[in-house]
Amino acid sequence: MTAPLAHIVDDDEAIRDALTWLLRTRNVSARTWSSAEEFLAGWQPDFNGCIVLDIRMREMSGLECFDALLERRNPMPVIFLTGHGDVPMAVGTLKKGAFDFLEKPFDDNALVDVVIRAMESDARRLASQETQATVSGRLAQLTPREQEVMHLVLAGKFNKVIADELNISMRTVEVHRSRVFEKMGVRSAVELAQLLAPGRD
Amino acid sequence: MILNPLPPTPTSPPPSWYWSLPYAAVALFVATMAALLWLTHRQDSEEQRATLINDVLWMEQNLGFQFERNNNHLTQLGPDLLKGGPLSATTQARLRQALDPESGLIRILWLHTNGEVRGAQPPYTDSHLVGETGGTFPSNSAYRLSRSMGQPVYSDAYAVIENQTQFEVHVPIFDGGRYLGSVVGVYSLNNMVSQQVPWWFSERYRVSVANNLGVEIAAKSRVSPLSSLAYEIPFEPPGHGLTLNVTAYKSEVRWIPLLLMGSLGVLAAAIVWSLWQLRRHMQRRQAAEQALRAEHAFRKAMEDSLNTGMRARDLKGRITYVNPAFCRMVGWSAEELVGLLPPMPYWAPEALERTLAVHEMVLGGNAPPQGIEIRLMRRNGERFDALLIEAPLIDSEGRHIGWMGSMVDVTEQKHAQELYRQQQERLQATARLVTMGEMASTLAHELNQPLAAISSYNTGCINMIGKGDMSPGELSGILEKIGKQAQRAGQIIRRVHAFVRRSEPKCEPVDLNAILREAVGLVEPDAERRGVNIQQDLADALPEIAADPVMIEQVAINLIRNGMDAMADAPRPQRNLTLTTRLQDGMLILSVADRGKGIPPEVAEKLFAPFFTTKEEGMGMGLNICRSIAELHRGRLSFEGNPGGGTIFHFSLPVQP
Repeated sequence: MTAPLAHIVDDDEAIRDALTWLLRTRNVSARTWSSAEEFLAGWQPDFNGCIVLDIRMREMSGLECFDALLERRNPMPVIFLTGHGDVPMAVGTLKKGAFDFLEKPFDDNALVDVVIRAMESDARRLASQETQATVSGRLAQLTPREQEVMHLVLAGKFNKVIADELNISMRTVEVHRSRVFEKMGVRSAVELAQLLAPGRD
Repeated sequence: MILNPLPPTPTSPPPSWYWSLPYAAVALFVATMAALLWLTHRQDSEEQRATLINDVLWMEQNLGFQFERNNNHLTQLGPDLLKGGPLSATTQARLRQALDPESGLIRILWLHTNGEVRGAQPPYTDSHLVGETGGTFPSNSAYRLSRSMGQPVYSDAYAVIENQTQFEVHVPIFDGGRYLGSVVGVYSLNNMVSQQVPWWFSERYRVSVANNLGVEIAAKSRVSPLSSLAYEIPFEPPGHGLTLNVTAYKSEVRWIPLLLMGSLGVLAAAIVWSLWQLRRHMQRRQAAEQALRAEHAFRKAMEDSLNTGMRARDLKGRITYVNPAFCRMVGWSAEELVGLLPPMPYWAPEALERTLAVHEMVLGGNAPPQGIEIRLMRRNGERFDALLIEAPLIDSEGRHIGWMGSMVDVTEQKHAQELYRQQQERLQATARLVTMGEMASTLAHELNQPLAAISSYNTGCINMIGKGDMSPGELSGILEKIGKQAQRAGQIIRRVHAFVRRSEPKCEPVDLNAILREAVGLVEPDAERRGVNIQQDLADALPEIAADPVMIEQVAINLIRNGMDAMADAPRPQRNLTLTTRLQDGMLILSVADRGKGIPPEVAEKLFAPFFTTKEEGMGMGLNICRSIAELHRGRLSFEGNPGGGTIFHFSLPVQP
């Protein structure tokens, strides 16, 4: 896993340099790309952090680059910098999943704030990806019967009802239940539900 | 061209006998006249015949008297002749008297009682008697008959030599019952006829005597044709089958009835001929009328179907004819329009002067062949533009009697043109706006870049300083970068300025008034459309100045357009735009005064600012450009309130730059 970076894509060297410097003053690491083409060429699926994309560039525009990134299922949040303030265009980008857009001239620290928020959001995404991987591993340890019991517990049913439905004794239900809690690393049904909430289908 | 409607066609043609009536009348007339003539002629013939009979009877009577007289003479002579002895002188004288040619007697014989001839006067020889005598001479039978009857008896007629015919009359003489002998008178029938018929009778009639065989034996005639009118009576005495034939000569031609008849015939013929001619003439006329009617209907249908208004006027401009399309166009009916003199009700009041001028031009024969456009008014007050084409109206005798005008409603067309022009203008304005926007956008982006960079460096520095861990070396590096970006921004601005510099004026000597007139000519149609009256008050003999004519004209047009825009909501009579030029303090000053709303103070401040506009479609560059042009020419653009309301713009240019 690479370190989180703010990827600045702008064809103007001064802007790139100034923004890198600005972000550095707020302890954000940045990597600059002098064109959309260069960025797309260097892009890796495990990049994380955020992308600061200028809309107006000499060759490929920011919007085209954004579309290419969507195609590649880029997970990083994208922040647009626009000189036009074209609201319909901005709305279009937001609808497609852009993180935010800023109209030039912008308040520089506001931009840094947005970058920081985007990077935090990306960090959460990574963390959640990790949690899901853990949960999947634990669920794989459950026996089929234990999984059956777990689903019924999550449905909020009492042990007696579960015993009736599965046609087993109350005692057996309690054993399965404690094993499920143990294997999933939780102490209560509530914790179990929280753990599984994002991953449940 | 139909000026007057034709009278309606008679509902039904006359019956066929209608035309034969005059002929029948003429035939009747001729027949009557012929009958009259025939009657006259017949009466004439009857009269002639009656006259003939009368004349013949008179003739017969006359002859009878003569015979009687001769018999008396012979009776008186008898005793003297028969007493014997030489004849006394008296007797001789009486004999000569009796033998007068008038009497018809040619010879007197006196006989013995036994019938022998005792003497004769004149004496005769037998040679006298050579001829066709049927018996003795003198006639025995007559002698005996007269002796026995005791009265004169006539003998048969007999021919003698020299183609003569004679007859005798035997007169017995008695003396106291004793027969003394007879006296015989010999008549020459030929002599009788020639001598006894009076001249006037023989002039008129041919008189002839025929014997019992019908052979003509004596005649008195002249060389002249005979008519069929004849009368025959027995010649008695002497009788014995002699007949007296009287034949009238053909009278000389009787001219009067002939003339009458002839003239009647000629007259009748003339009447018939003229009737026939009249009939032919009327038939031709009817055919012509029919043709005219058909032509009329054709033309009328043509005119009615036209979408073009047609209107005829006489030389004084009085309307003499309008077609339905014209009526539809103006909204007045033909009855209301025909006979009107100018000004016409369909002339728009605001364009009255021009319309009148056009009218005068048409009547003067100076109408342009391609037509004139004028603004007219419908009855409901709606205005419309019409293209008017006039042509002289020539009557059938070649006289110029007026003007025929065709009128086409071009309002829609003009409207479409106007719309097109406006759209075109808007399109151009939009295109200019887009270009301007592009330019502004590019410029903004270009400038934004260094400014954004500067801003970012700046914010970064502040952040660092806030944290308190900034080394002077690092700071000076950043500040250098900031300076570089500021220079970059300056470079961009210099580039823009250089770009603007490229449109420097191309100066040449110009006449401000001429440019102004040209500008007015360009905006005039627009002004007319908006109802703005442009007045020019141009100073004479202005010096020429060195300027770019295109730019100056641009300024003039801009100022005029602005003035007209300012008066868009003003009442029509108030829409006056005054242009003045004058020379003052070495400056040529063009003033454009409008009578609009004027300029409020808050607008006045920003009036020359670029992109400032009070107009919906404006770009806000007009006055800005004007001022730039003024400055390029080292002149000035200023404005002030118009004392009469509105604004006056002054555009001044130095005479010597």
